[in-house]
Amino acid sequence: MTHHRSIRPRALVAAAAVTAALGLAACGVGGETQKASADACPFTADASVDTTVRIGYQKIPNGDVVVKDQKILENCLPNATIKWSNFASGGDVVQAFGGKSLDIGLAGSSPSTKALSAPLDLPVSVIWIHDVIGSAESLVVRDGAATDIAGLKGKTIATPFGSTAHFSLLQAIADAGQDPSDYKLVNTEPEQIAPAWSRGDVDAAWIWDPTLSQLTKDGGKVILTSEDTAKAGKPTFDLAIADRAFVKQNPKVLAVWAKAQDYAVKQITSDPDKAAESAAVEIGVSAAEAKKQFKGFTFLDATQQAGSDWLGGTLGKDLFSTAKFLLTQDGIAKVAPESTYADGVDPGPAKAAAGE
Amino acid sequence: MTRTPSLARWLPPLVTLALVVTAWSIVSAADVVRPAYLAPSPLEVWDAFVRANSDHRVGGGVDRVVRGEEGYYLWEHLVVSLQRIGGGLALAILTAIPLGLAMGTIATFGRVVGPYVDFLRSLPPLAYLGFLVAWFGIGDTSKVVLLFLAAFPPIALATLNGVRGVREDQLNAVRSLGASRRQTITTVVLPATLPDILSGLRVAVGFAWTTVVAAELVNGLPGIGGLAYLSGTQNKLALSVACIIVIGLTAIVLDLIIRTLEKKLVPWRGKA
Repeated sequence: MTHHRSIRPRALVAAAAVTAALGLAACGVGGETQKASADACPFTADASVDTTVRIGYQKIPNGDVVVKDQKILENCLPNATIKWSNFASGGDVVQAFGGKSLDIGLAGSSPSTKALSAPLDLPVSVIWIHDVIGSAESLVVRDGAATDIAGLKGKTIATPFGSTAHFSLLQAIADAGQDPSDYKLVNTEPEQIAPAWSRGDVDAAWIWDPTLSQLTKDGGKVILTSEDTAKAGKPTFDLAIADRAFVKQNPKVLAVWAKAQDYAVKQITSDPDKAAESAAVEIGVSAAEAKKQFKGFTFLDATQQAGSDWLGGTLGKDLFSTAKFLLTQDGIAKVAPESTYADGVDPGPAKAAAGE
Repeated sequence: MTRTPSLARWLPPLVTLALVVTAWSIVSAADVVRPAYLAPSPLEVWDAFVRANSDHRVGGGVDRVVRGEEGYYLWEHLVVSLQRIGGGLALAILTAIPLGLAMGTIATFGRVVGPYVDFLRSLPPLAYLGFLVAWFGIGDTSKVVLLFLAAFPPIALATLNGVRGVREDQLNAVRSLGASRRQTITTVVLPATLPDILSGLRVAVGFAWTTVVAAELVNGLPGIGGLAYLSGTQNKLALSVACIIVIGLTAIVLDLIIRTLEKKLVPWRGKA
């Protein structure tokens, strides 16, 4: 039998050609990131650690991006592999923990509480307070619409539901003795608030940067901040959550990690220009803008964190009240016993860093 | 057929492009969209494009120079996305073509598997992205799997369609010459199906491209879809538009490549 010229080799070649054309240069691209502004470990490095540390970060101006940009972990754990992944929201970070893809991650107090509550019940601990949210999240009101929260009754207020800003807004309404149902609260993604505002669809928004600056530039007036609600006893935070098994198995990593964060927090106070430069590089704003944004947060060093006001005590209660808020928002299935949230806070690494 | 002179051939698209850019400039300058950053001008988009492809200063009186956007040049973001799409497509080609052939040649198999392929085709990728992240992690695997799932159904269904279109008398002809089942497939079914497979591939590449932003929503940097999404959330609309234009132009180039392949491999197409 004569062997007909089979189509198969040609088809394979075609498939291979398409694949090659698409996956062109399968050899890695660039990869190397920007030059770091520091190149030595600011404290004693630990060369004995050779594990991989997977960290999820967000573009928020606090110590975490300073640590990342100045490569403090890379320099202080020279034999470890540090993998940084960027996330757009705390919800995404929590999802990644659910998929066992992260060891340490940054999330706001709302998503962190969600992680500790049903149905997620993730095995994570809160190990650090990256910042206490202050004027970084504020209630902006269209010029002339109102001067206090009671005056906004019947008006439309935009905020991303389930966020720390939403929590602060509901808290402020309750503190003013008002009923949330008298307000038109609308769930809006941060980047969609400015367009809605300019169309006149919303009268006010509790939101963070860059939208916050955009609205004040557009004639908005800040009438309340998250600093006010924090003073009234309901603070919101950006927290670090960590996988419990990882914390248990890698005390050395956590010790260096907390020291690095402590160093960054102190740099924000003592050398704000240098810290702002790092934050600017990581967040994608100008250094002056980053320096301004620092003022919207309160930063705590390891000694303060380990104290009874924060990781060492009250934070568990703050997470518990956040859980009660999330339940009303359908964010969690049920509020766990208060002890779950107290046990969900692990001041160990902060205490170790403060002990030096 | 006489070839039209090149000027006359290129004039209409060039004029159209000029009109589009002019209209765009007028709209963004006219202040009808507010706040103004929501309507970046062509020049601002070009600046964002250049900035994203070069080492530039952070700004605000700091001399620190950074590389592109998020530590990578724009073309590097593009190449990473292309690699992910290449991976997803390669997997889809390797699995969907045999599956489509099997569905077309074995009737029972086709009846059983067909509904599942149809079901998969109709799913919006965003709906199951969360599962993929939970199962395959936040690394490249979940992204490649998502792109594979997007590219798989069009190729499988096109292959199936092609097999069904094979002329019975051709099959009978080789069979009467003593061809085995395998020889029937390689010498008649596959060549006759190739035009449909390539059409399916074109559709699949399009699907994969439209899925790339979804694939790169979570930990998508570097990656052009991830960059387009991130810059949108940061109100950097000019960069977002630059990414969108690059995505669109790349899609056109990819389509051209496959069409060229089509002409080379199945020159008989449309001339039956």
